[in-house]
Amino acid sequence: MSATAMASDMRAVAIDRARKAKQKGRRDTRMSYLLLAPYLLLLLMFGLFPIAYAFGLSFFDTIEMVFWGVTNYQFVFDDFRVPASVVNVLAFVAIWVTLTMIGVAVLSLMLDSINRKTANTLRTIYFLPGAVTSSAIVVLWLFVLDPSVSPFQPVLHTLGWGTRADVIASIGLAGVFAIMAYFSASGGWIVVFGGALASLPTEVMEAARIDGANRFQLATRIKLPMIWRSLVLMGILSFAGGLQLFVEPQLMGLAGPQFAQNDWSLNQMAFQYAFRMGDFGASAALSTLLVGASIIIALVIVFATKFYKID
Amino acid sequence: MSTRQAPLRLNPGRFLVFATLAFAVCFYGIPLLWLFVAGTRSEASLLTQSPFALGDWDSFVRTWNNLTTYNNFQILTWTMNSLIYVVGGVLLSLIACIPAGYALAASEFPGRKLVLIFTLIAMITPSTAVVLPIFLELNMLGLSNTYAGLILASGFFPFGVYLTYVYFSTSLPKGVMDSARVDGANRFQLFSRIALPLARPIIALVAFFSFLGIWSNYFLAFVLLSDDKLYNLPVGLTALVSGSGALSNLPSNDVPIKKPEVVLAAILVVLPVLLIFMAAQRFVRSGTLSGAEKG
Repeated sequence: MSATAMASDMRAVAIDRARKAKQKGRRDTRMSYLLLAPYLLLLLMFGLFPIAYAFGLSFFDTIEMVFWGVTNYQFVFDDFRVPASVVNVLAFVAIWVTLTMIGVAVLSLMLDSINRKTANTLRTIYFLPGAVTSSAIVVLWLFVLDPSVSPFQPVLHTLGWGTRADVIASIGLAGVFAIMAYFSASGGWIVVFGGALASLPTEVMEAARIDGANRFQLATRIKLPMIWRSLVLMGILSFAGGLQLFVEPQLMGLAGPQFAQNDWSLNQMAFQYAFRMGDFGASAALSTLLVGASIIIALVIVFATKFYKID
Repeated sequence: MSTRQAPLRLNPGRFLVFATLAFAVCFYGIPLLWLFVAGTRSEASLLTQSPFALGDWDSFVRTWNNLTTYNNFQILTWTMNSLIYVVGGVLLSLIACIPAGYALAASEFPGRKLVLIFTLIAMITPSTAVVLPIFLELNMLGLSNTYAGLILASGFFPFGVYLTYVYFSTSLPKGVMDSARVDGANRFQLFSRIALPLARPIIALVAFFSFLGIWSNYFLAFVLLSDDKLYNLPVGLTALVSGSGALSNLPSNDVPIKKPEVVLAAILVVLPVLLIFMAAQRFVRSGTLSGAEKG
């Protein structure tokens, strides 16, 4: 076979192979999308579409179904309860995020400094209240904050609180909601940080110990800086979740009408617009603003930090 | 790690550590312990005896009967509903998450990066942020106030996709996959014959988180469901309390739902999750959860 014939033969084979590879690639793409299909459908239906629909609806008078621009947004901003609920929610978030960051960091570092078996038992105790979620948290804490039945009765009495109203007035609603949320949500983080601290490189610890660092210095100068980034991520996620507060204030009314807080948080306002006033447009406008805030936070986390790896 | 223990000395620093940890034990442990003890006590005992007085079998049975028979066995209907929502929702989330996470981890295709980014954003956005938009949408579609509406909405679980994606990205045996491909296996066979049998831990993990979210879902269920026959347990619990005024300390009425019945209903909401936590302890401790938590 001559050299040219061989070359052309090889070219034919290469072209054939390329065509086959391309076909295979197309088939692979199709198969990948087939595997993704159920998820993509749900993503479309419960991620993208509701947000787009609420965004669209927010520009309509939903009672007459006519376009009226930013009127709904104006209505929301003019409602005196909205700025009040912004202040409420920010107060709650400030207390909750601070409590979570300090509480989780301190307890995790302390657990890491004691004997491992005891630490595991304690970690389990801290983690179990995570089973108490949503409405059960509020029901449980309405008991706990009531001096007539509370397991902390002696403490509440010592502090001079005779009724549930005294307790709530003294701690403040934002503080009460923050305690409820912290009670249930922090234990899971303590477990996560327990794992993170246990996997820190032991050589660094050994070196620091040989250099004469005591446990306190080890915790604050070596371990804390090494988990700092994760602590910040926890703070941001808690902040984003806290903005959406709904259940805790909504269920205060279970303690009696004098405790009801139906327009305390922003999500409650959006709920009120839709369900008490039947004004879906105003509800959509406020929801859009709330989702917008969450998405901006998410975009910052995804693109400006390297917390979540994709490839 | 060395197993050498520091000699037991109580210097002020150690004292502070143990005092703080003990304080935390009280904060986390006492309310939960109280809840389970209170379930066995009568209303009078709750109000007059010490907070941790034990109840007795008779009052527990009386409370249980009051709770279960109330309003035509309503609480049992809600329990059943919760089971329906949780089984349907978890199954749907697994059907959606596992193949999707696999496809994202194991293959290159146009649009892959976009799907990943959308997944991350959807995962970081708190699910409560989209509750009202989802209500507005399902209301338009005529799916609010149905089993199907709530199950579909709770099957959307981007966090599960991300977990599966991370799992398959690190655990698929590339060599085995390649030789199976050479032998002519197509993508689907690779998924069903090689990836799925490896996926048991990640299926358990996704089911675990999906269960937690769906079982305790209050906000979405509360907004979507207006018919009390469709309530799940968390919404039912609040309907029970607000219908009876059991927590309000107002003059009593003749509704048989008092504090002990409410406590027992709360235990019904909490207990299944608690049992699953206990059962999952080993893998919770083993650090499988490191980096796997979402706020």
